[in-house]
Amino acid sequence: MLLKLAWRNLWRNKRRTLITTASIFVAVILSTFMRSLQEGSYNEMIKNAVSFYSGYIQIHKNGYWDEQKLDNSFEDLDVVKAALSGDKRVTVATPRIESALLISSGEKTHIAQIVGTNPEQEDQLTNLAAKVVEGRYLTSDDQGLMIAAGIAEKLKVGVGDSLILLGQGYHGVSANEIYPIIGIVKYASPLLNKRIMFLPLKEAQEMFVAQEMLTSYAINVENPKQSEKVAQALKAELNSEEYEVMPWTELSPDLIKMIEGDRAGGYLFMAILYVIIGFGIFGTALMMINERQYEFGVMTAIGMKRGKLARLLTLEMVIMAILGVIAGFIAAIPIITYFQFNPITFKGEAAKAYEAFNIAPIIPTMLDFGVIASQALVVLIITLLISIYPILQLLRLDPIKAMRT
Amino acid sequence: MISLIAWRNVWRNPLRSGIVGLAIAIGLVSGVFMVSLQFGILESRTRDIIQTQISHIQLHHPQYEKGGETKFILENGPQVFEALSKEPYVKSISARILIPAMLESSKGNFGVELIGVNPEEEAELTLLKDRMVAGDYFKEGRSVGIVIGRKLAEKIGVKVTDENGEDSYNFRRRLVFRFQTASNEISSLRVKVVGVYQTANSLLEEAQVFIQRKDVDHILEIPGEIHEIALITDDRKEFIEEKLTKVNALPAIAGNEGAKVETWSDIAPDIQFFAETIAASSRIIMIIILLALAFGIINTMLMAVLERTRELGMLMSVGMNKLKIFTMIMLETVFLTFIGAPIGLLTGWGLITYFGKQGIDMGVFTEGSEQFGFSSIVYPELPATSYQEIIIMVILTALLSAIYPAYKALQLNPSEAVRAI
Repeated sequence: MLLKLAWRNLWRNKRRTLITTASIFVAVILSTFMRSLQEGSYNEMIKNAVSFYSGYIQIHKNGYWDEQKLDNSFEDLDVVKAALSGDKRVTVATPRIESALLISSGEKTHIAQIVGTNPEQEDQLTNLAAKVVEGRYLTSDDQGLMIAAGIAEKLKVGVGDSLILLGQGYHGVSANEIYPIIGIVKYASPLLNKRIMFLPLKEAQEMFVAQEMLTSYAINVENPKQSEKVAQALKAELNSEEYEVMPWTELSPDLIKMIEGDRAGGYLFMAILYVIIGFGIFGTALMMINERQYEFGVMTAIGMKRGKLARLLTLEMVIMAILGVIAGFIAAIPIITYFQFNPITFKGEAAKAYEAFNIAPIIPTMLDFGVIASQALVVLIITLLISIYPILQLLRLDPIKAMRT
Repeated sequence: MISLIAWRNVWRNPLRSGIVGLAIAIGLVSGVFMVSLQFGILESRTRDIIQTQISHIQLHHPQYEKGGETKFILENGPQVFEALSKEPYVKSISARILIPAMLESSKGNFGVELIGVNPEEEAELTLLKDRMVAGDYFKEGRSVGIVIGRKLAEKIGVKVTDENGEDSYNFRRRLVFRFQTASNEISSLRVKVVGVYQTANSLLEEAQVFIQRKDVDHILEIPGEIHEIALITDDRKEFIEEKLTKVNALPAIAGNEGAKVETWSDIAPDIQFFAETIAASSRIIMIIILLALAFGIINTMLMAVLERTRELGMLMSVGMNKLKIFTMIMLETVFLTFIGAPIGLLTGWGLITYFGKQGIDMGVFTEGSEQFGFSSIVYPELPATSYQEIIIMVILTALLSAIYPAYKALQLNPSEAVRAI
């Protein structure tokens, strides 16, 4: 009975209902949009950092991460391969053997990280082939080097020149070799650009006298959010005495710290936004009650209990809140999806600053139903909290005064 | 006349106008203050980076670059250093040898940046001594002592953390450096870790290794020479260009082709990057806040128009023309916005000015920054251009959100409107 009355009340004055619902609707859209933008920017940050080099997950011999040396490498056994190919969420797993060596062009010397890798898989993982600026990309059978542009510049060498590699291989044997430069890659990160060079996996293993040995598998997963779960699954599959499986959160703890710091600021901003949209909804709700003073006065005068009237009004507010939230939820999805594929792009000075670091000057949104649902719920709660004040007022209503307005 | 009616209309329902005004004021205060906090954080980071890492001004050989070759020494380095030390505006100064080196340990090999310093100069310039966490800040002994970062100490096993999370340091490890001398020969040096420092930047903690200049200059075949001079002046970092001119005019430097002088902003362009990022993100913050406010204003005004259907119909019937109705509603909305906007902006400005002097302890958010020797006090600030930008955005918001309700009012049909309840 009360529900029917509430429903009819709402549609008696359609425009008024629509305006109140619209303020809830807009609140949901704004807050979901903002949260999606925040999460999207973190995602972009992670993607930028991870896709440069590390991948979302790495497998090493247990203890390698703390002591990154060749002696802590592991044999490339079928157990690991089976675990990796058995998990469908793993899109690519690149085997690597890496160590720091001295490299010399004869006259000049430099320290570099030699990464022996499978070129095709490396390209799938870090999009390396696209970074080639001179010469060509490596193939598995090459007997040559691909070096970062910073190293080439420092040693004043180019494609076709040869480099001498000096250092230690597996178990302390000396690893000295001469290789021609086949290609040059340019990294956005100045750190990598001065440090990294690549050899085909087989060639590197031979040079380090570490046949069939690897220092790591670098892994990409289908959905970055699954990194932790996939890492857990791999951990369960592999002997934890022998292997360590690390998701990016452990590989780059600094990134996590930075995001967490930023998130604190993000929550503060959300709180401000809630206050503003709360006021917006409050304003419209209050107006609605004021406008209907006469009506409420008549209702009380002809004998309707104030408590019942309050229940009626609560019901109306709940219906409007639910309508607004559902509509907001539905409308937010295409908006967020749009900005995911057509991200906000910086222009002018900011764009230049981003490009100097070779980071795309964009902030995409991230469509996540969890985020949208939680924001819809927050707005619903805000709306219901806001309804308390007008309803309290209604309980103190003086019918005679009310009817005079 | 119309504006007077509009003004009175705004105050016919003080509660309603009050709520909208309050929302606008709160929105602007919090928005402006949040943006100023971000600028404040950037400012304090910049100050920290200048203090502990890059200083105000650096001098190198023109061909020198980080991780470069030993032979690119600063020409007449000792004389330049001497001349600069005598300048009254130079507060602290340090001369350094800087070379890439391979650190070989039983735990693996690490590429590091070996920095040869005079311990007293460095202690004064970058507060290295104050940032020590264990061991000694250099000491004389039979072996060559080095001071390394906490992160590197972890990697080479100098710092050991037991199961209870207690740290202990083992200074008995012997290490070997391998590097290239000025004549491009590979040379090596046995060293011992004597102390461990910390800094807020873990990349630097891993890469920078300090050694006494006198322990390496001979083996590098550059006795008495230096690669870098870094100095801090008595002026604020914004006025460094002026000092740059003075430095460039010094006789030891003016005719010296083998010396290039750079300021902190040339050395660390990434600070500019962060400034731009913050400017862009604060613009997004303000736009979202104003968007939320605009919808609040539009909704309230739509309600107000709807509620006064009869009154507006009456006004039209007695001959008030459509333009005047439109202007009246427009003005009401604009007035409504301008009740809250100046209060919000002025309060925001007041808060920023107050806390800009007092500072806010952000220790809760930037956990542990104090232990790096950094102060966690942030002084919020907002550039004048940001104020201008925000004021323009507020005016635009007021005008844009006024249009729709006023347009709605125009669409009323007088004969129907007067009959409305």
